[in-house]
Amino acid sequence: MLNARSRAAPAADVLLGHRAGGAGIDLHGPLRDASDTILASRAIDGDLVAFEVIAHRHGPLMRVLAANLLGSELESDDVVQEAFISAWRHLGELNDPARIRSWLMRIVSNRALDRIRARRHHDDIDAADRASTGPSTEALVEHRMQLDAVWIALGRLPADQRRCWLLRETAGYSYAEIGETLDIPVSTVRGLLARARATLLLEMEAWR
Amino acid sequence: MTNSDFDDLDGHTLEELSDYLESGRTPRDPGIENSAACRLALEGLARLRALSLDALQREADRDPTRDDGWIAGLLDIIKDEIRPGRDIPISDPDAMTSLSVTEAAVRGLVRAAADALPSVIIGRTEIEGDVSTPGAPVRVRITAAAEYGHALPPLVEELRRVVAEALAEHTELVIDQIDVTIDDVYRRAER
Repeated sequence: MLNARSRAAPAADVLLGHRAGGAGIDLHGPLRDASDTILASRAIDGDLVAFEVIAHRHGPLMRVLAANLLGSELESDDVVQEAFISAWRHLGELNDPARIRSWLMRIVSNRALDRIRARRHHDDIDAADRASTGPSTEALVEHRMQLDAVWIALGRLPADQRRCWLLRETAGYSYAEIGETLDIPVSTVRGLLARARATLLLEMEAWR
Repeated sequence: MTNSDFDDLDGHTLEELSDYLESGRTPRDPGIENSAACRLALEGLARLRALSLDALQREADRDPTRDDGWIAGLLDIIKDEIRPGRDIPISDPDAMTSLSVTEAAVRGLVRAAADALPSVIIGRTEIEGDVSTPGAPVRVRITAAAEYGHALPPLVEELRRVVAEALAEHTELVIDQIDVTIDDVYRRAER
């Protein structure tokens, strides 16, 4: 039995995003203005182009989040790519398409934390984490001093404090979830967050 | 590390204030709300939360082409992983063979047809009914966002028309009904 699919191939090709080179989507196309809800809905239906727009829209933030959780940019591209592959495969589990960004943040965070756990078996993480992804000194010259101050202060936080802060404040983890994923008691999470909060707040207020 | 600026919070701690902020400042706590020091700290905490995300976002926006590499790799990996869905038969003049088109491809056809319209962006496409039995009536449900400022009834009619035409042209599905739900409104970004 021949299962011929050729008849639908031309139209499907347009939609499934089979273009030469793969990258280079027309970000000015109709989907550029589409909401996350629409894009995620289409991606759930198998629209690769919609997923590509999502990757361009949210991928950079996810990569920076991964780099800051890992304390290094070396692995962040791999981590964010793995996370998006996993997201594509599990899109059917996304109940509320409007929440795709926070859903992706979770997946990226989990992937980054997997790496950190794996790394623990190899070497002392604190040594590796010391090299933070703080900004270059040129960045200091920019206008938005508070933003700079927070970015710099984030980069200077000890790795465990930075991780807790980002998981709580950007990825929306609960205290219990942070404790579970980092394998530390909730009381420790509270302590780390309290120190991070106080430091960041002082650094930010200094630029008022 | 000194904590001097936030040492005196009228008996409250930063952690308490942070939890209070997270609960949306409800139920209202007069002890906190009536303290100038607490309100200042709450304001700072709220700003800090926004700045934390903004700082990451600004770093992310620094180099627009920075992420092209891994995104291209990503697409390369997942492009062949589209779940085909059900097979939808198409009559074949050669009795020895059978033709079918996948549900995913039909959804793609629906999106392609709808994307040709200027003021609407289609979201989900669901095909309900027994698509594998030729001639069995099926119902198509689609969701879509409409561009702000357009009357909805003609927009929906137009959407129904192009979707019906595309399905009639490329499949042999017997369409009982096309349900359209406009669940979002968007504004076209300035070019």
